[in-house]
Parts: sequence; structure tokens; C-alpha cells
Amino acid sequence: MRFRLLSKRTACVAGAAVLIVTAAACSSSSSPGQAAGSSSPVAGGTITVLEGQGFSGDWPYGFDPATDVTGAANQDFFDAVYGQLFDLGANGVIEPDLATGYSFSPNAETVTVTLRKGVTFSDGTPFNAQAVYWNWMRDLGPLAVKAGIESMWDLKRVNPKVPTSAPVAGAIQVTGPYTIVVHQDVPNGAFIDQLFDAIANWIASPTAVQKEGATKFAQYPVGAGPFTVVSDTYNSELVVKKNPHYWQAGHPYLNGITFKAVSGDEAAYESLLAGQGQVYEDLSTTQILSEAGQHFTEENNPGTSPYDLQLNTAVAPFNSIKARQAIYAATNFSPILSKIFGNRYPVTQSFTGPGGICYDPNVSGYQGYDATLAKTLIAASGLNKVTFTLGTINSSPVAIETTEALRTEWEALGMHVKIANYPLAGLIAAFEANGGKSWTAMIQTAGAFDPASGVGVGFRFGSMSPFSGVHDPALDKLLSQATSFTSTAQRCTYYDQAAEYIASHYYGPFYFTFAPANIAVKSVHGPGLTAPLPSVAVVPVIPWQDVYESSSSS
Amino acid sequence: MTGARLAGSPALRLVGRRLLAAIVVLWGVTFLTFAVMSALPNDTAQVLLGLHATPAQVAELNKALGLNRPFPVRYWHWLVGLLHGNLGTDLEGASVNSQLAQHLPVTLELLAYALIGSLLLAVIVAVLAARKPNSLADRFSLGVSMLGLSAAPYAFAIFLIVIFAVKLNWFPVQSNSLGSGTLLSFFQQGTLPAASLGFPLFAIYTRLLRADLVEQLQREDYIVTAKAKGLAPWRVLIGHALRNSVFSLITVVGLNLGTLIGAAAIIEALFSVPGIGAELLTAIGNKDVPLIEGVVLVFALVTVLGNLAADLAYAVLDPRIRYGRSTS
Amino acid sequence: MAAPRPEAALPGTGYLPPGPPLLPPVGVSSRRLASQRLGRALRLWIPAGIVLLILATCFLLPQVTSLPSPTNGNILDAGDPPFSPGHWLGTDPVGVDVFSQLVYGGQVAFEIGFGVTGIGIAVGSLLGVTAGYFGGWVDAILSRVLDILIAFPALVLALAIAEGLGPSEVHVIWALSAFSIPAFGRLTRGATLVVRDLPFMVAARLAGTRGWRVIARHVLPNIMPGIVTFSLLGIGVVIILEGALDYLGEGIPPPTASWGAMIASGQTVLTAQPEYVLIPSIVLVIVVAALNMLGDALRERWGVR
Repeated sequence: MRFRLLSKRTACVAGAAVLIVTAAACSSSSSPGQAAGSSSPVAGGTITVLEGQGFSGDWPYGFDPATDVTGAANQDFFDAVYGQLFDLGANGVIEPDLATGYSFSPNAETVTVTLRKGVTFSDGTPFNAQAVYWNWMRDLGPLAVKAGIESMWDLKRVNPKVPTSAPVAGAIQVTGPYTIVVHQDVPNGAFIDQLFDAIANWIASPTAVQKEGATKFAQYPVGAGPFTVVSDTYNSELVVKKNPHYWQAGHPYLNGITFKAVSGDEAAYESLLAGQGQVYEDLSTTQILSEAGQHFTEENNPGTSPYDLQLNTAVAPFNSIKARQAIYAATNFSPILSKIFGNRYPVTQSFTGPGGICYDPNVSGYQGYDATLAKTLIAASGLNKVTFTLGTINSSPVAIETTEALRTEWEALGMHVKIANYPLAGLIAAFEANGGKSWTAMIQTAGAFDPASGVGVGFRFGSMSPFSGVHDPALDKLLSQATSFTSTAQRCTYYDQAAEYIASHYYGPFYFTFAPANIAVKSVHGPGLTAPLPSVAVVPVIPWQDVYESSSSS
Repeated sequence: MTGARLAGSPALRLVGRRLLAAIVVLWGVTFLTFAVMSALPNDTAQVLLGLHATPAQVAELNKALGLNRPFPVRYWHWLVGLLHGNLGTDLEGASVNSQLAQHLPVTLELLAYALIGSLLLAVIVAVLAARKPNSLADRFSLGVSMLGLSAAPYAFAIFLIVIFAVKLNWFPVQSNSLGSGTLLSFFQQGTLPAASLGFPLFAIYTRLLRADLVEQLQREDYIVTAKAKGLAPWRVLIGHALRNSVFSLITVVGLNLGTLIGAAAIIEALFSVPGIGAELLTAIGNKDVPLIEGVVLVFALVTVLGNLAADLAYAVLDPRIRYGRSTS
Repeated sequence: MAAPRPEAALPGTGYLPPGPPLLPPVGVSSRRLASQRLGRALRLWIPAGIVLLILATCFLLPQVTSLPSPTNGNILDAGDPPFSPGHWLGTDPVGVDVFSQLVYGGQVAFEIGFGVTGIGIAVGSLLGVTAGYFGGWVDAILSRVLDILIAFPALVLALAIAEGLGPSEVHVIWALSAFSIPAFGRLTRGATLVVRDLPFMVAARLAGTRGWRVIARHVLPNIMPGIVTFSLLGIGVVIILEGALDYLGEGIPPPTASWGAMIASGQTVLTAQPEYVLIPSIVLVIVVAALNMLGDALRERWGVR
């Protein structure tokens, strides 16, 4: 069974007209959107963008959507070459890009997407509903399934027992040269939000894929985006240049971009200081952040993915509710926030962040820090008699520092903790080892712009997800109810309930909404660099077609 | 040397013996490599089948790949594949051969740069130092070489980056496209990594050469004769003493190759050089056993060849062997 | 002689750098002699003193005074600069005392250094002396074994073991021994070859002394100076290698303190707070340089080439 939620729900939705959802209606306002400086866009120039290894600086499989295992990390490159069907713009507005609009059926099961006319791929072949259909079927097909990244759409399948089997004929329909319809099996109002950072959002030229074969295509992809690939050395350097046939007149402003992998925040910072790069994305090391603002433009984008501590309820010691509550009570997060993160980020008690929908930092019934209670619970649950492992990803110095600080706090109360730092592949393996029964505690980020998409709530708290420590049908039900509406207000009600449920069962404490910063030299401007941009999942995706270089700085 | 002289010469016999020994060593290294890798937990089948594989499917693929057969059988198959030039596919689906072909040249170029640079500098410094033992120049060279022997390459590299890349901006902080550009870009991107690798080498070579030169200048009869004949000190030093010292230097270079390639892994990771050492580190982190095996094999091959070349060069260049007198 | 002997290639194997500078034979005024003697004494006792001081600090100091924990810190003290009260070298970004990390990291470094070198001496000398003394095809086989071990890249072995079996101090010692055993093997083999054909050795054999007794009584004492000086240099190399493993995260597992791990984590904030890299790097250089200079001085004193 799949970890996407399949239970039936009541359907209730108003309106069927074409909607552009303004997500900001529900969330508390993110930083006021401002025009990108007082300078106006200038065409021309090339820049070098640095990407940190271990996350966005690794692309071992290339850029074929159907084999893109490294997903969230490489969105930048995919968007540069393919563009997207829809963009997530400032203030959480869904913007048309290669698709111009969408509509839901009243029961939120059928989605109609309208595509942009007159667009061609960079190899000259036409971009149309047929091409999108070809791509979407491929994203559900064997290549993607083998890579483990197939689109998790709720469609009627040829073999209902096998959720990765092909969809029945007609589940996805081309109803016109530029319209395509998806008949979902269950109500799901989050379909469009779920496209962001999903492989279905990137449309490859079918002609090019068939001509070159998947392996070669992955290295030299052909899409309808603002840039085309000039040279590509995996995990090292990607050079792109302006696509002269790009549909949006006047864009991209830049003539070309060189993406370079660097070994980490420090190396990137040194390179920028030395003038050997103009932009670095996803800077998280606090000490560098404190300094960087003196030399560069530092954009702290509103976060959408809070840090959470996942507890594996399937095995000891955290199958005991007392032990889990002990963790809540044992963690004093404010010194960590102040010392390691310089108090930059707002504390939260749920899986939503200020840049996304349904932001609610306070959850009723949330167990806060209480050392006395913690000691009682630790003794009562026997947590002081076992050693458990706390893991995180090794490419983030602040994540590692956080695990260290937590370990010290917990050991002071009598617990025994071992720290494990994994590379990305190793992290996945750690979750999956022994049928998901090896890991005990993990510091991760949970949540996305829309909790239903990407590394969202289901990813970390759904019973079907291999990366979740929770297997609770009641919670699954709440989460699936939350996606069955197209009205954000209604969805948020259910997300609030889910957050309270998680708190009352102590499934895992949340800390704060982490949002790495992007830094750029003063002459570079654009969304995410000089104006805030919400993250699709963890990190914001800079729309490179809107970035420009101008020496008349604001 | 005429053909007849060569055929019966001790040199050829020596070369033959050495080659035989090298083949034995190579075989031993492959065996050791395979043994170590087999002892490690191997998830190849699971990873190849993907996230949704059932345990039954994994077991079946294991059987098909022969991963559950006894050790000698697997070794034999691996060896046979190896002799056919087939090193298998890595966990990401790329052929190990192609990964090696792509990344190995970069590392070899970097090592060559480090070796040649440190050799040249060592010759210059050692000659200057040996010229006047105990002079300021001499003491300075000894101090610098002591530093080179004592400094950890990874710490030294950090220091180099901060001074020469960040503060002085003479070189790039990271060397992503080393080996795939112009000659100029190779020197720009390659100098700091080569310096990090080469500093300990420079130290060793300088000391060796200096010690050898000084000893020759003091002890050797022919030097005294040359000086007595009125030959200028510089000519004596460079023309005679240096030529003879070069032998020991060459053998040392060959012997160094093995440790060098290990040090290269860390330096490559530090500078983001797309070489085989960095590949190895990523492969180890991902538990990509086929790739690890392939790279380790290459490392070992380079080491063995380096040793062999040193042995041969020394044996062949030793005039006592060349001209047929008995060896020690 | 113009061409070097094979054994002379040893000094530059990358494991053992060549010998200390030879003093030129100059006119022997007594003042000159005295200052030479003073120089030699200083070259021996200053490095020896430094090594002893560092050993004492790492192993004796924690017994005598109580140092803050090298693994657990108080987050409220995070990022204290050097000379803060209670933390005289300051604390790292999560509050762990830097000086304690140096001291306990030093313990680990020396334990591994001595352990690996000890194993190298014990096993390597056994192999090397046997090969050198008995010659023939015993030598041929043992030499090939040593060659195979030397050809196997030690770093890779250490990483493979760490990944497969989990990083730990013992695993590091095993892995690095694969490197020290052949190094000592070659050294002792070469030294044994030199000693074997000396007149007094031939005399002992002719007199009927048994092989093992000859080895124990005559060979070993004569190669011992070479072994000792080689060991000192070897400990330095092992400490640097072990630091490399820790730097990669595959040596001593965190949170146990180690110099390499200190450098690795300090590197992430190098521009902002360079002291986290500088302090362990400087300590590392001083320790290894002191060991190297001590080895040099002993070679000078004992006349080992």
C-alpha cells in the first residue's frame, strides 16, 4: 500500500470556476512583498551560482524527471531547463508559467489544466497537451517506479492491488490541443500545490528523450524553460545559456548561468568573498549568516518547513507514550535557538511555517519544557535504561550542532543518546533498514508550502510513508480530510486538528521554522535574492528567468 | 648497449624477476580487495531493485547476481570479469569503467602537477642549501621542510585557501572543473590542491637530495678531483653530484605513489576536484560497493606500478648492473 | 659511491624522510666543538621535552585536575572565546570546552599512534628480520606479502572498515596497522641485510651459533636504533593519518573528541571564527614536528642513516 492517504471522505466544496488560490488568505502574512529593489531589470550578463554539496550541489543522476531521485535538492536546475507548469510566487501565490490555469470539479476529484499556447521546446518541437500527457504517463511508468519517485496520484489503476501499476485508459485525458484532465480516484484539493517540486511539473521534450535515450538525455536535457544546457559535469558544474525561444518575452534577463558545486557553506562564503561567485543558495551556518550581511545581500526567506524531532513509535523506546512525552518535557529549545540559530526563526509547535498555508505556531495541549516532569517520566518509562540513536543529515552544520545540543540536554537528565550523521543516501537507508524498525529518533524538517505536498506532513506522519515514525489511522484520516477540499480555510481547520492530535499523542516535538538564507553580491537582484520567496519544501526555488544583474544597486 | 649485450645482461634478468614479482603482488592486491569488500555488508540487490522491492525479489536478484554463492566462486567470477575489462555497474547505473575513465585522468594530472612541482622546487632548494651547508639558506630549507613533514595536508590546504584564494584572490577557492578546460585554467585551479599534496613531498625530496648532495661533496673522490682540476663549484654541484643523486630521488617518487593517492582523496574533497579520490569518498558514503572495488583496484594498480617503476629504474640505472657487475 | 644502495631508498619511502643534516667537517677549535655539542643537546632535549610535556598534559593532567567534559557542553556557554572563565581556550559552538577536547583528543591520537606503531614493530620486525636473515625463498615470499600490504591503500582500507564495521578506535588501529607492518617490515629487512654480512656476524654463524640466538643477540641490538628512530617518525605519520580519518568522520566516532574532528567542524566557520581550526592545527603541527625532530636528533646521536 502506498503512503498517500486513501480513505474516503466527505466531499464539500464551493465553486467550480477557474481559481487562482491566494494562499495568503489563510496564513498570517509573510514578510511584506516588495518590489525587487528600486533598480529595474537589465538584460545581459552571466553569473556564477554556488550550490552546496550534499544537497543541491549533487546531481548524480542528471536531469531526467523520471529518474530524478534527488528531487527537492535540484529544483533550481530543473526549473532553469524545463520551466514549470505552475510557479510558487511571492506571498504564496500560484503563478502560471507553462500552464495558464486550472479548475477543479465540485467534488475535487477532477482537475483540468490549461496549457500555454505557442510554446516550443528548445529543440523546436511543440509544447502541447500531448507532450504533457506523454511526460505524465512516463512519470507514472516503470522508469520512475524503479527509481522510487513515481507520481503518487490517486488514479484508477489497471491492477488495483498494485498501486504502481499503470493507470487505466482515460484516467488522464487529453481533451484539446492545450487542455489535459486528470480524473483522481479520491477528492484531493491539493493537486496543484502538490505539483510544485514534483516530477510532473517538469515537461521534457518527448522527441528529445526518444532520440537520445534516457541516459544521455539526463545529461543534456531539453525542455521549454528559460535556459538550455551548454555543459554538464555531474556533481560538479552545470553551464546553461539563455534559451532564445523562451516564451516569455524579455526573459530571461541573464545570458547564462554557471552552477558550481562547493563543499559547503564555508567554501561558498569564501568563494563569494573572493569574487568567484555571485550567488549562494541555502546558507544555514549561523556564524556565517551573522557576518554575511555586511558584505552581501542576505535574503531570509519565510520558512515553510519546521524542524521536527521524529520519534519512531513502531519500536522501543518510543513506542511508549510516556517516553515520548518525556522527550517533549526534556527539551529546552530556547537556548538552542538563541545560541545556535541566533534567534533568527520563530518558534512553532506544528508542521506549518510562516511562508506556507495554515500557519499556526501555537497548538493547544502542546507539552513544553518541564525538567521535573521530564525526570519523572524518564524514570517511569525506563528511558534512562536504554541507549537510543538520534540521527540527522550530515550536510548541515546547524543540524549536527542541534543534535549535539539536544544530546547534552537529554544526557543531563539521565538519558543515553548516540548521535548518527548520515549522508543523504545513508539517511534514506537508515529509515528503511529492517523494515523501518532500526531508527529511533531523527531530526528532520517536516512540512512544505502546502502540508499535503512534497516533504509534507504525510511524509513524516502518515502511516504509509517509509520516512514516518507514526502509524495511526486516526491521524491519517485527519490528514486526508484536510486535502479533500479546495477551500484553504476548510483545509486549515483539519490541519489544526491534526496538529493537536500529534501534540496530544506526543508523536514528535516541533521546534521552529527553519529557512536557509540566500546570499548574493549587491549587483544581483531577483525573487528569493532581494525579495522574499516562500520555500516549496525546505528551500526556496529561485526563478532564474527573473534574476538580473544591475550595477545600479538599490 | 648492443642487442647481444642486453639479452644476456643481468639487467634483463632483473627486470624479468621484478615483473614477475609485480604480477604476484597485483594478484595479491586484487584478492585482498575482494576479500575486504566481501566482508562488508552489501545492499547492491536491494538498491538496484528500488524502494518497493519485496524481500523475495531481493533474494532472487541476489541469486541471479550470484551474491549468495561461496566466496571462492564469487572471487573467480569477479576476477574473470576483471580480466575481460568489465568492472561492473555502480549503484547509480553508470558503468564503473566510464566513471573511472571520466575521473581518473583528473587525479593523475593533479598528482603529476604535485610531483613535478615538488621535484623541481626540491632540486632548486636542495642545490642552494647544499652549496653552503649550515648557511642561512640551508637552515631555512631545513626549517621549511620540517614544517612540510609535520603539517597535515588537510590543515595546510585550509590555510592555503584562506591566504591565497580568499585574501589574495590569486586562485579559486574551489576547483570544480579541473582537467576539463584550458591549460591556464588547469594551473589556476590546480595550484592550491597540488601545493597541498606537494608540500610534504617537497619536504622529503629536499631533505633526501640535500643530504645526498652534501655527502657526495664531502666524501666522493671524484668531486675532490674535479675541484682540484679547477672546475667551478656550481658545475661540480649540478653537473656531477646532482646527476648521481637523481637516482635515489626517482626511486623515492615511485614508492611515494601509493600514499599519495590516498592523500589525494581528502584534498580532492576539500577543493571539490572531480577526481577519482572524491568519487571514492562519495562511493564509500553511499556504500556503492562496485564503484569502491573499482577505485581501490585502480589505486592499488597505481601503487604497484609506481613501485615497479622505481625498482626497475633504480635497477636499470645503477651502473653496476648496467655494465654487468654483480649486484648486492 | 655514486649509486645508492637499495636500502638507501628506504629513507625516502614517504614513511621515513631522509636523515638529519650532516655537519661539514671543519676546523676543530674547541669553542666550535663545544657549540656543536650544545647544539646537538638542544636539538635532542627541546623536542623531547615538548613531547613529554604534551604526553603529560594529555594523560596525567586529567588525573590530577578535573577538566570540563570533552563531549558534553552546556549550550548556554556556546561560542565562548578563549580566556573565558572556566574555559581557558573557550568553547565550541555547542558549548564543549576546547582545551578538554585537545587533551582527550590527544589521548586518542597517542593511543592510536603508539598502538599502530607497536603492532608494526612487533609483527613487521618479525616478518622483516626473518626475511632478511634467512633470505632465499623465505625472503621472496615474505617480501611479496609485504609488497601486497604496502600496495593496498591504507586510507581506503580504513574507510572500508569504518563503513562496514562502524568507526571505532580499535578499527582504526587495525586499519592503520596494515600500513605500519609493511613499513617496519621493509625497514628491518633492509637493516638485517646490512648487518647480516658484517664480519662479526659471519664469525658468529661460523662458530655454530643457532639462527635465533644470532638474531636475538646480534641482529636485533644492531637494528634497534633504526627501529626506534623510525618509530618516532612513524608515530607522527600515524597521528596525521588518524587525523585525516577523523576529519572525514570515519575515525573516532563523535562525540568522542579528536583533533581531526575538531578541524573538520571548525572548518565550517573558518572565516567567522578561525580559532576553531587554528588551535587544533597548531597543536597537531607542534606534536608531529617535535616527534620528527626528536627522531632526527636520535639518528644523529646514534649514527643511523
